[in-house]
Amino acid sequence: MTDSSASPRSTDAAILTHDLTRRFGRLRALDEVSAHVPRGAIYGLMGPNGAGKTTFVRVLLNLINPTSGSVTVLGHDVVKEPVKVRRRVGHVAALQPLWEWMTVRDFAGFMRGCYPRWNPEAVSTVLERIGIDQAATLGVLSRGQRAIVAIAVAVGHEPDLLILDEALTGLDPIARREVLRNVIDAMQAEGRTVLITGQDIADMERICDHVGFLVKGRLVLEATLDDLKARVKRIRVEHPSAGSGQVPGEGEVQVPAGAFQIERRPRETVFTVENYTPEMLVSYDGAGRRAVATDLSLEDIFIDLAQAHMGKTA
Amino acid sequence: MGLCGIILVYYYNSTEAMFDSIDPKSALPMYRQITDQIRWRVAAGVFAPGDKLPSVRELASQLLVNPNTIAKVYRDLERDGLLETRRGDGTYISSDAIALAASERTRIIEEQLRSTARDARAFGLSEQAAMELFRRVLSEMAQRKDRR
Repeated sequence: MTDSSASPRSTDAAILTHDLTRRFGRLRALDEVSAHVPRGAIYGLMGPNGAGKTTFVRVLLNLINPTSGSVTVLGHDVVKEPVKVRRRVGHVAALQPLWEWMTVRDFAGFMRGCYPRWNPEAVSTVLERIGIDQAATLGVLSRGQRAIVAIAVAVGHEPDLLILDEALTGLDPIARREVLRNVIDAMQAEGRTVLITGQDIADMERICDHVGFLVKGRLVLEATLDDLKARVKRIRVEHPSAGSGQVPGEGEVQVPAGAFQIERRPRETVFTVENYTPEMLVSYDGAGRRAVATDLSLEDIFIDLAQAHMGKTA
Repeated sequence: MGLCGIILVYYYNSTEAMFDSIDPKSALPMYRQITDQIRWRVAAGVFAPGDKLPSVRELASQLLVNPNTIAKVYRDLERDGLLETRRGDGTYISSDAIALAASERTRIIEEQLRSTARDARAFGLSEQAAMELFRRVLSEMAQRKDRR
């Protein structure tokens, strides 16, 4: 279900991996992942705990090497040109360690020295909007405030790619809104790309236009959000007259190949399909039957797909 | 009082159009939720020709949704004639919106009736029974209004 299978060139991709594998001993944390994050996208990388999301980010930043496969970020091979990549990438991680004794201002000044570009207004705008005192030491800030400082500094060097790794996890609603707002504001620069990983699916649904699902190190799905929501639907077939329950199997509703999460009840059958077409409904019409398709939220899709794929690989 | 007036005027000029928050978990796509809000307000006369809408970035930031979603909403409503973009200035409710409001009202009600009709048919309600039901609901509402 990749909508980007038509030979993605590295020029239109912010992130491009090919058969990327990373092993830790016998564990394949990443298993032949071929991901394509287009420039200008807000890409949500989702997956259950331990699926490999953070390993993926660490490979992108060249904090660890891939075992095999290739990784290109903003047109540079991350293994061969890690510095070129890091200079153009902003990174915010969950519970990022910050020097507790440093003031916010000193921290921003320190980070400024690491990058060729720096926009002090961008940093102070973010901090002032939520009322963070630049003279405060990092140690006295709340968890939410630290996340805002981290994102302020990450956008300070005007990165072409902003990576938020579980950056929304565990934040209070106000801090979360502020982080989301900053991501949206960061997108104001043309062609800027955001990769966001996490579990807060409703938040990701708000802002992402592309999604990828990692399950047990494998990228089981990659699509635009619109495409995904158009293709994955829950279908309910009502058959009040068929099979009064007297004869088992009588009038049993046929489900399309590849359907999953199938629930059969006496007078209705419900299942999820990955390649929905309106014709699917028409085929059930008549003979006292009626079929309706329901849209699924990203969270529903995530749970259905994760269960389907966990089952397959277990 | 004078100050209040100034603040009120400023408030109206600066906040421009107001929007309700968006629910990403709703079965209705976010694109539709935003489109419907604008269409509804045009139909109800809340948005009048010449009213300025927030910029794509402002609205994306206000509603916390992807800017591309807002851009698509504006593009599609502009194509339908409800909005007009003045180059370098912003997006406005178009001058045709008054004429379109009437057809918008019809369209919204028609859409709701179509969904009701689908259910009525599925439950095996006859056309006559369905019409009677609708007439009864309308007349009950009229009576309630008279009593007030």
